[in-house]
Amino acid sequence: MKRRQFIKQGIGALATLALGEVILLTPDEAAAATRRMSEPAAPPPVPVVDYRNLKQVPSTCLNCSTVCGIVGLVQNGELVAIEGNPADPNTHGTLCAKGVGAISINTYPERLLYPLKRVGKRGEGLWQRISWDEAYATLARRIQANIDAGHPERVALHQGRSRLGAEFSRFLNAIGSPVSLNHRALCSSNKRAANYATIGDTDWETPNADKSRYILNFGSNFMECHQGSIHLARRVAQGRANNGAKLVTFDVRLSNTAGRSDEWHAPFPGTDGLIALAMGHVILEAGLHDAAFINDWVNADLAALRAFYAPYTPEWAERESGIKTADIRRIAREFAAAAPAAVAFTNRGSQAHYNGFNNDRAVILLNALVGSIGQEGGYNYMKTGLGGFGVKQPEPVPPSPKIRTDLEDPPEWPLANRWQKMRVGEIVYDYLKAGRAKLDVYLSYTLAAPLTWPEGRSLAVEVLCDETLIPFHACSDVVYSEMAHYADMILPDASYLERWGLDNRDNYEMRPYIALRQPITPPPGECVSFADVLINVGKRLGPEQARYFQFANHEEFVRQQCENIRIPGVANAFDYLKEHGLWVDTAKPTAWRTYERNIADSELAGTRSDEAGIVWRTNAQGKAVAIGLRSGDRVRRGFDTPSRKFEACNAEVAKAAAKVGIADDGWPHYVPIPSHLNLPADRLILTTFKWNVHTQARTAPQKLLSEIVHDNPLWINSATARRHALKSGDWVEVTTYRPKGHTLHPTGEMLGRQRVRVVVTEGIHPRVVAISASLGHGFSGRASEGRKGRRRANPGFASPTGNAAREDWDLAENLWWDKASGGRGNGFNLNAIIPIHPSPVTGMQSWFDTVCTVKKV
Amino acid sequence: MIPAPQWRLAVDVERCTGCHACSVACKAEFRVPLGHFRTKVYYRDVGSFPAVKRHFLPAFCMQCADAPCLKACPAKAIARGADGIVRVDQAACRSGRKHCGARCESACPYGAIATGPGKGTADKCDLCSDRLAASLLPTCVAACPTEALVFGDAADPASSLSRFLASSRGRDAVPIDRGGSPQVRYRAADPQVVARLPNGRPHDPASYEIDTWATEGQA
Repeated sequence: MKRRQFIKQGIGALATLALGEVILLTPDEAAAATRRMSEPAAPPPVPVVDYRNLKQVPSTCLNCSTVCGIVGLVQNGELVAIEGNPADPNTHGTLCAKGVGAISINTYPERLLYPLKRVGKRGEGLWQRISWDEAYATLARRIQANIDAGHPERVALHQGRSRLGAEFSRFLNAIGSPVSLNHRALCSSNKRAANYATIGDTDWETPNADKSRYILNFGSNFMECHQGSIHLARRVAQGRANNGAKLVTFDVRLSNTAGRSDEWHAPFPGTDGLIALAMGHVILEAGLHDAAFINDWVNADLAALRAFYAPYTPEWAERESGIKTADIRRIAREFAAAAPAAVAFTNRGSQAHYNGFNNDRAVILLNALVGSIGQEGGYNYMKTGLGGFGVKQPEPVPPSPKIRTDLEDPPEWPLANRWQKMRVGEIVYDYLKAGRAKLDVYLSYTLAAPLTWPEGRSLAVEVLCDETLIPFHACSDVVYSEMAHYADMILPDASYLERWGLDNRDNYEMRPYIALRQPITPPPGECVSFADVLINVGKRLGPEQARYFQFANHEEFVRQQCENIRIPGVANAFDYLKEHGLWVDTAKPTAWRTYERNIADSELAGTRSDEAGIVWRTNAQGKAVAIGLRSGDRVRRGFDTPSRKFEACNAEVAKAAAKVGIADDGWPHYVPIPSHLNLPADRLILTTFKWNVHTQARTAPQKLLSEIVHDNPLWINSATARRHALKSGDWVEVTTYRPKGHTLHPTGEMLGRQRVRVVVTEGIHPRVVAISASLGHGFSGRASEGRKGRRRANPGFASPTGNAAREDWDLAENLWWDKASGGRGNGFNLNAIIPIHPSPVTGMQSWFDTVCTVKKV
Repeated sequence: MIPAPQWRLAVDVERCTGCHACSVACKAEFRVPLGHFRTKVYYRDVGSFPAVKRHFLPAFCMQCADAPCLKACPAKAIARGADGIVRVDQAACRSGRKHCGARCESACPYGAIATGPGKGTADKCDLCSDRLAASLLPTCVAACPTEALVFGDAADPASSLSRFLASSRGRDAVPIDRGGSPQVRYRAADPQVVARLPNGRPHDPASYEIDTWATEGQA
């Protein structure tokens, strides 16, 4: 049958997509099915807000990974505004543009409202509306068949930033699949691994910036997009205003953070670690180190440290990085002089490299050299997570599966899952194509892989389209995204403003807190939170699995999770969190210098000390675990590492490296990036970045954010541009090359070519070109596609009730950046030609190492 | 009788991270249409590699004591309240707008008042008067994560505004003065980003496109 016959025809026919009816959704063909708008093209009345009688619903933001406390102001069932929750110890009630601008997603006319099943070829865009019953039954049948066949590992759940870890692990454990995939290695696994490998307690630092006098920043753009972005930006502003703190930033690109620092230094990409090592060299050479801290708390003595640092001269660092020896010496001395109120920290600029794990360890080590770890104004950290509050999986708890596959546990990167299950997400599609694992059911959530994965619109899309590699793909999303387009079933999700969940982060005030995410308004149409979908599917599985899903809904699951939370004077923690949004446990001691804490004698019964003073206890599984460090007659907690000290040198890293054929002595040496060695003069390094108003691919449908940033030309330095006779607005063809070294497909061969507009700027290293992520959408509706006018055919239009069915006059009439009306359009996505490039041992995607050339077109 | 509060805004530009929370909070809460800004953040890159700085300027209605928009309005639809806030009477503006030629727009030296789209009447910041009446901070001030925006009653020496203006940092805060006796005070605003503020026309949405960040003069 010709597919046109399926499609509803005629004016207004698409106003309601009835159960069973079919609709075509592709960027090109949907234009032919454009709906004639029946709504008048006039501005809606601005609601008159009665501020004294608003309903205030506290919840937790998820428009980025910082998860700030929010309060939704609701009037007559409509979300009027989003404000910060004053109870949030990190934000004190403030927010960023993403936090306040998210308001438009709930009423976005292009919201998905009904479950859909694919009726054409995969990726063709032909969909039929189905009932939730059919969706649940199909999913349950398909998953059950894999369980029954003895292959639960053929069911994979691949999530982006969901903050639904407990829900998802319960589901996978219940069905017996270990294949829980994520995006951590595309984000931060080197940084997290570096913290675990040195400090051990946690994966993310909380710099005490408000009390600091010197803030040394390697590659974090915390004024725009760091995890904990505004928490830190706020405190850096306080530190600078109140203590005159100096902010020094190393970044290849003039981010807002770099542009507002007291000093911006642009090193050659991937040399941050070498610069930090040279600073350490200067500090030791000048005797500016903290000998007592090193003696008490570093797992290497001064002589060993001196020997390690000896070759790392500032002169060497200057040759590789371009940063002047005099600057390195001066900054090192200033940093040490300000200690212990001095902090050096990192983020993607330093860690998203082939050598990023060592770069970050080298930076963290600077804090140990000057003794600023755990000190006021220094490098601080605290254990976070929900477990400390008594949050548990409701009984009965499904056991973890004992099987493994190469998808979630690739043996080539032995530290990827060592401290937490960080995975190596970027290799998933490559491994599927190579037959390293077999899948039947692929559940995707908050992922947008075609836009956000390296080789996204190339390899990821190729694999997503291949029904032999991914026989069945169900995607939960709030909009018809590029990921949904390649699915077999679309499950319309609730936005984060419409669903439940527990959450928390580090608290810059150093006390643990716990936060609730709850619906501020109900989801529109037939949208169902993916957490509820999993419960509903779980109930339809066999009795062995269904027993784990005896909850009325996700709300009840979260309520049960809260049963053991004890809030003094409060009968029911869940009700308290519903009312207040979050709770800070002020009875807990603040987490300063936790390594110095004494372990009480009463807790030492049954322990033993070895000759190094390490105190061991045998745990319930019969395994000896180091718990503290004896010093005289006291036992102190120390660091949560095998030596209970700060690990300058990590024996486990050496062992892991040896396992995959890499020589490594466990010290955070500078490792030159193989692809950058002997780089021909015409080769540049392509780097990527995020804007302050966007996260990866999920903010572009929010019109107030895309209005600020919708275009992302390629940044090119003015001197480099002159050589290529380029001016802003010109077009270039970018050619990229695969990496070399100990990585995936280390061929150095050409990967691909793509055309892009340039912006000429002084704010970038002459050997670097930069393009942002987050833009260049081909799907997800008008705000992200940069298209003014009538909305296209979309199943989301069909709702007879609910805000999302309403047309948005703004998108129809005022979307001024539409290229067709003289605007800049919606930008570019270059991920198709950015190679999959896991860094050795940890597997972090080396986003910022891509070798390329540019040619004017 | 209790004297009317004197609501004033001050901006410690050095603390601003250019995050757009102020401008987006305003647009979200008041449904300001795409293409229009009551409050807008300007960027300006200055210098040559590697000595480059980025300057920000969150631009607000200056709530002028001698407001040019007010004086220009033939319908007398704009008034300054006893609390120092310059407001547009929408009904008066609606009845007078056919023949006024949007004189308020061309009179404003700060780009802070605009007519339309849609409703056609003049639209500007009124320091969230409805929120103030309910004892809430203006939405931009409430959102600002780095405490760059300071708001309060200038007549009350204990207000955050008065305390800021009396502090060593706040003493440097001065109006951006293009006439009209503007009342918003800015600390450490760089003249090169100030020069980007439009004069005699409303904020142009395209003035934030990235290739304009290094351009001189009015956006």
